[in-house]
Amino acid sequence: MLLGATAAAQTGSPPAPEPRTGISGYMEAHYNKPEFEDGRLDFHRFVLLVTHSFSDRLRFVGELELEHAFVEGLEEAGELELEQAYVDFLLDRSFNVRAGMMLMPVGIINERHEPPVFYGVERPFVDTVIVPTTWFEVGAGVHGEVGRGLRYRAFLTAPLNAAEFSAEEGLRDGRQKGAEANAGRLAATGRVELVSIPGLTLGASLWSGKSGFEFRPRFDVNVHVAEADARYARDRLELRGQFAQVWIDNAATLNQALAFRIGVDPNLPSAMRGFYAEGGYRFISGARIGDVGAFARYENFDTQFRMPDGYLPLRAFDRDALVVGATYWPEPDIAIKADVSWVRNRSSVIEAPNSWNLGIGWWF
Amino acid sequence: MVVLRRARLRFTAVALVTLVASLAAPTAQDADDAVRTVRVSAERFTFTPSEIRVPADVPVRIELKSEDTDHGFRIVGTDVDVVIPKRSRGAAVVTVTLAEGEYTFECSQICGAGHAFMRGVIIASAEDGE
Ligand SMILES: [Cu+2]
Repeated sequence: MLLGATAAAQTGSPPAPEPRTGISGYMEAHYNKPEFEDGRLDFHRFVLLVTHSFSDRLRFVGELELEHAFVEGLEEAGELELEQAYVDFLLDRSFNVRAGMMLMPVGIINERHEPPVFYGVERPFVDTVIVPTTWFEVGAGVHGEVGRGLRYRAFLTAPLNAAEFSAEEGLRDGRQKGAEANAGRLAATGRVELVSIPGLTLGASLWSGKSGFEFRPRFDVNVHVAEADARYARDRLELRGQFAQVWIDNAATLNQALAFRIGVDPNLPSAMRGFYAEGGYRFISGARIGDVGAFARYENFDTQFRMPDGYLPLRAFDRDALVVGATYWPEPDIAIKADVSWVRNRSSVIEAPNSWNLGIGWWF
Repeated sequence: MVVLRRARLRFTAVALVTLVASLAAPTAQDADDAVRTVRVSAERFTFTPSEIRVPADVPVRIELKSEDTDHGFRIVGTDVDVVIPKRSRGAAVVTVTLAEGEYTFECSQICGAGHAFMRGVIIASAEDGE
């Protein structure tokens, strides 16, 4: 055993202790031009990240997001959302406890959504209508890492509200977002991730909850989300793929109850499915002017993949998309993006809108 | 505070750490050839490798590069805490001599929504590390 004091000789980059309280954030502004419509300029997200270390083992992380720049009482314009606000009790590498408002550990984008780290002006369709990002709820759970890069997280949180599901946008409006959320029956979610091979991240996530709490007499609407993803990033190349499927049990009863309540049958499915594959390559990297990369993504998503007995799917909801574009990083934390998105559906009557998009996003 | 002080105590009691932190181009091999080098890459929100095995009581050079933004590399309970520069801006290099034991390291620069997940472990053992 060695005894001795520190001999700390330092040159160059100074040690930068994490400030007890720190502020960071990211922003993204978009121009979207759907076919046959006027373009829209949208300050899509303005996000502030606040962290505080009570001690080495006790941390607070908060993420406050203003969407679409402007908030009104009726929420038509924008939303002010508290996406994360939790306390981490860091006990051991393999076992830590977290409580508060947390991101659901489902999919690539939900937990990793800073604009410079993904290609495309908008997030993938699959991460919008199948996995409802940004997906967050209040709860508590555990997380950690064992061995050479096997990570897990498991949380109990408030469930989704099935009364707000829709045939076009899936689970999206069912998020309770920690707003006096019903927590009669908690949902369970978990993810395992393997990060041991340099550049490669393999992940699988599950979410399961009882979502029919708004109905009287009460009936069960069990919702399950299963997801698997892979991401490989090495030097100039980045590849990613994701598959997600949603099951809604008792969808026929849910449709009848909603039809009775709102007067229209919402035609909710018993299953939704989506997947995508994306490849990107930085053909300029580390140059004085920065980096330039191009990408292509194919997506397939169907919010009426399986229907309950007696219901027929609308073919307009069986969609696929090809998104092709480029990103220019004048510096690693600023991304200027452009892309074209071709969306098709299986309907011969309803056309899916194509669009082109420009965006700038930054992290500070 | 109590936790921190205990960690410091443990550190001065059992470890002799020589820390050389420098901003070095990846090709600059100014370190002694005999010194073992471990290369670690950092990206939102992972260190790879996240489990590092080193021999105890001999200097080990840790070379850290980022694939995206600024990250930090802090070995909890020691004075080691450096900024890993952004992508394409070189590496941070630290040389540490660790007594036998397990040391948690973590990102010390807020780097995004999953910053708190960026942690790993250095296992210093009498038998040879990998
Ligand atoms: Cu980091």
